[in-house]
Amino acid sequence: MLVHSGPMVGTAVRVEKLTKVYGVGSAPVTALDSVDAAFGRGTFTAVMGPSGSGKSTLLQTAAGLDRPSSGQVFIGDTDLTRMSETKLTELRRTRVGFVFQAFNLIGALTVEENIVLPLRLSGAPADRAWLAQVVDRVGLGDRLRHRPAALSGGQQQRVAIARALATRPEVIFCDEPTGALDSRTAADVLTLLRAVVDEQGQTVVMVTHDPVAASYADRVMVLADGRVVADMPQPGAARIAEHLASLDRRAAR
Amino acid sequence: MIVLAAKLLRHRAGPAVATLIALAVGVLILVAMGTLVESGLRFQPEPRLFRSADLVVAHREISQTSKDFTGDTETTTAALADGTVDGKLVARIRQVPGVATVAGDDRVIVDSPAAVGHGWGVFAFTGRSIAEGSAPQTADEVVADVRLRAAPGDQLGLTIGGIRKSYRVSGTADTGAAQVFFTDAQAARLSAHPGRFDTIGLSTRPGADGGAVTEAIRRIASDAGVTAYSAGQRGHAEQSAGLNARSLLIEAGSAFGGYVVLLIVFVVAGTIGLSVRHRRRDLALLRAVAATPGQLRRMLMAETMLLSLVAAILGVPTGLLAARWVHGELIDRGFIPAGFPLAAGGLAGLAAVGVAVLVAVLAALIAGRRVTRIKPVEALGEIAVEPSRSGPIRLGFGLVTLIGAGAAGGFAATMSAATAALASAVGMLYLFVLAVSLLAPWINAFAARLLAPPLSRLWRASGYLAAKNLRANAQGMATVLTALVLSVGFGGSVWFLQDNLERQTMTQSRAGTLADRVVVPIGGDAAAEIRGLGGVRAATGVRHTSVVVTSFEGVQAVGAQAVDPAALSTTMDLDVTDGSLDKLGDGTVAVSVMQASTSGWQVGDQAELWLSDGTPANLTVVALYRRGLGFGDVTLAKSTVAGHLARDADDEVLVRTGPGADAALGAWTTAHPGSTVIDAGTRDQQIGADLALGAWLNKLLIGVMVGYAALAAATTMVMAALARRRELALLQLVGVTRRQIGRMVNAEQAGLLGTAVLIGAAIAALTLGSIVRALTGSPIPYVPPLGWVAVLGGVTLLALATTIWPVRRLLRIPPIDNIGIKE
Repeated sequence: MLVHSGPMVGTAVRVEKLTKVYGVGSAPVTALDSVDAAFGRGTFTAVMGPSGSGKSTLLQTAAGLDRPSSGQVFIGDTDLTRMSETKLTELRRTRVGFVFQAFNLIGALTVEENIVLPLRLSGAPADRAWLAQVVDRVGLGDRLRHRPAALSGGQQQRVAIARALATRPEVIFCDEPTGALDSRTAADVLTLLRAVVDEQGQTVVMVTHDPVAASYADRVMVLADGRVVADMPQPGAARIAEHLASLDRRAAR
Repeated sequence: MIVLAAKLLRHRAGPAVATLIALAVGVLILVAMGTLVESGLRFQPEPRLFRSADLVVAHREISQTSKDFTGDTETTTAALADGTVDGKLVARIRQVPGVATVAGDDRVIVDSPAAVGHGWGVFAFTGRSIAEGSAPQTADEVVADVRLRAAPGDQLGLTIGGIRKSYRVSGTADTGAAQVFFTDAQAARLSAHPGRFDTIGLSTRPGADGGAVTEAIRRIASDAGVTAYSAGQRGHAEQSAGLNARSLLIEAGSAFGGYVVLLIVFVVAGTIGLSVRHRRRDLALLRAVAATPGQLRRMLMAETMLLSLVAAILGVPTGLLAARWVHGELIDRGFIPAGFPLAAGGLAGLAAVGVAVLVAVLAALIAGRRVTRIKPVEALGEIAVEPSRSGPIRLGFGLVTLIGAGAAGGFAATMSAATAALASAVGMLYLFVLAVSLLAPWINAFAARLLAPPLSRLWRASGYLAAKNLRANAQGMATVLTALVLSVGFGGSVWFLQDNLERQTMTQSRAGTLADRVVVPIGGDAAAEIRGLGGVRAATGVRHTSVVVTSFEGVQAVGAQAVDPAALSTTMDLDVTDGSLDKLGDGTVAVSVMQASTSGWQVGDQAELWLSDGTPANLTVVALYRRGLGFGDVTLAKSTVAGHLARDADDEVLVRTGPGADAALGAWTTAHPGSTVIDAGTRDQQIGADLALGAWLNKLLIGVMVGYAALAAATTMVMAALARRRELALLQLVGVTRRQIGRMVNAEQAGLLGTAVLIGAAIAALTLGSIVRALTGSPIPYVPPLGWVAVLGGVTLLALATTIWPVRRLLRIPPIDNIGIKE
């Protein structure tokens, strides 16, 4: 067997010197300032930081939803930076899954139709057995014919996770997936994400500001002013909160 | 993709319904208009008189080929009211080898009973045979068509040129129309144009070389300046009301068809664009999750195709019904003859559906550009809004168009040639409307900024919010502004132009008619007889005709009157500005100021024109007058047209009476059955009624276009209003009272619609002013009081029905129920 050409075998997502500058002219805002990061396969990373730290921008550029000003993004071995919009979309629908904070689902489609939407758009045949397993895992077997409007917030997020899993992506990006949920429902959803990593070996990158949510991850990466200021194994909710608070104090000074 | 599109459509029905309405009504209009045009195109005038003739020679139009500015040759034609051909052609045609029989048609108009007379020589060409009896042998015998209900041996009284004479019916025949056949000699004697024939028909000898004969006859005809019609076109050579109806339908359809298509493109593109705007988050989510820009575009296309199919199903049958209704109305109002066939509309339906689908696809392509610009990142945001910037290209085009409109307006205001001023004014109208549609977002934003202080002062918090909303929605409400400006500007111009023309014509006719009685005689030189009656101070016989004149646009038929020049100033005041009517007589002509400027004539110039039978005439211009609308643009002496009209009879006699005249006139009409006396006021009313009738078609067409544009504005506004439930609920929750919200919405409507009406009215006023100035010299257009009410009332009703009532309904729901709704 040939040695893999990629620099880090077992990396799902990698960004190199990633820079994103918003606005042009007199007052450009640097949201990401030459960030290097890698997310290993089968890991669950929480990306944290105060508002404006660049955590959402990191997620959007890493997921191919937005283009960086400079630097490179790799999903597996694929360099996203030179891809056309159509190629990017095709990559997103087969190799990347998304869970957003809210408005995750198309109201016109049933739960089942929402879950298979990426497959339908790519024209790929659905793997029935896998889908059944996914639906079973997220616990929505009895709601497949319902429309999103009939579901609770937590259930809607489960549908979004099921949709993300449907194509067996290399990585699932979550942007504040529990931001609109109460703590009990949030715990359900986070447990589900944890299980997806542990049982299916999925890779999850989750942006959150909630230390409790972050405590479900293996690793916590903290951003401030567009740079990575901390990158550590998940130390527990209390330590995370402490760390974030110290960041705030520093910013206030 | 189709299934997905259908599902998305069903869920977001609002915008889809708006597009569907726009498309279905568009199809309806196109089908109706198309069916009428198709009826015109399919109409083949059936030759009645020359059914079995091989060739027919006639003079039906004047055509002239000229070079325009660019050096291209351009041919214009003008129809002749009663064109004739020289009688000498018959002899020349007879000498052509291969010609079997030739006959010229004298075409005698019988006033009572209404019929047309011919010489016996053309009877053979009808291809009919005598049903009963025999051919006319003597001058007082006729063969009558069965429609005249006479039997051989009966006496038939015919009034021709005011003289009633009794004829013995020698035979009867079914010739397809009310016709009588005299002996050739008698027909020639009765003819209003001795020595000239209405048409000449001929048949070729069996075995003769048809091509060679046709060629020879063509040459003879073109040498004489007339036309030879072959077997297939014979119907076009015979005078027929059907032919006029045919060109009316085709002209009306093609003149308005183009604008209607443009309007539909604009409206449908607007509604589809709006539906994209309203679904921005859904589309962004689709983009984020899995859909390529191409897939979204295809989805939009599938959606639009689906909608246009449904629109076709709804629009085609209703369009056919509408066509049938208009057809009936046109017959009732005398625009087309009864029995003019209405096409089944299959072709028109197909074409309309094709156009609608094409338009929808075009609109979807335009909207597709918007879709491509949606970033998938927008799915993550709290609110998905379209960036409110519009391209600098649009701004540039808008400004250039505006400058163009200004220039056209300048031309229209300064041009002395009336037709050139008219053309500039119409060009200005279109350019202004186009400029407004391009600049609409900026106009809205500017108006919002301008209106902010007065609105805040007038309605305080509500006004402040309204101004902010107007500013924020400047882009979204661009469609509404454009549609309303189009309705008011376009509708105001064209609709009120009709009113102005009617009013001006009436005013001129009333002011210029000095006579107090009008006799409508049944023919003959009635004026001479009436002049001799006791108490009559003056009597002027008037014959209404037309002449063909040349102008920079080519040849053109204009209305003319032929009058007795003697004592003209007692019965008619044409408001002469230059020269004098005293010299009106043989070889001279008086023309309206407008016609003079169009044709470039001045007093003393030689005017080259064609009389209504196609005879060229070179006349000296002796006077210019202002009242061209009321009396016709050209005034000739009766002697000039003598022998050139289809019927030798006065159409009306204007009488200035003195004491005792009424009794004498009464006695005269009793002695001349069929003639009537009316007073001048009654005649004015009749003219007014005729004008209103003539304006009906124009008003119908313009009404349809304005209505369609208003419909577009309405659907857009309803959609926009219903999309605001979340915003309104939020306002209520932060403490804005319902009353304040209601006032806010009213203030917004006042701002938006006020701006639209103001701009539309300004455009209409400019256009109307230019046209009216060109036609009458006075720059102040007349707008009937009811017109103001209709415009302002219509707009107010639109605001009420499309925004204020829907919002009021929304406000009745407790705000907390609405705040949860995701957009």
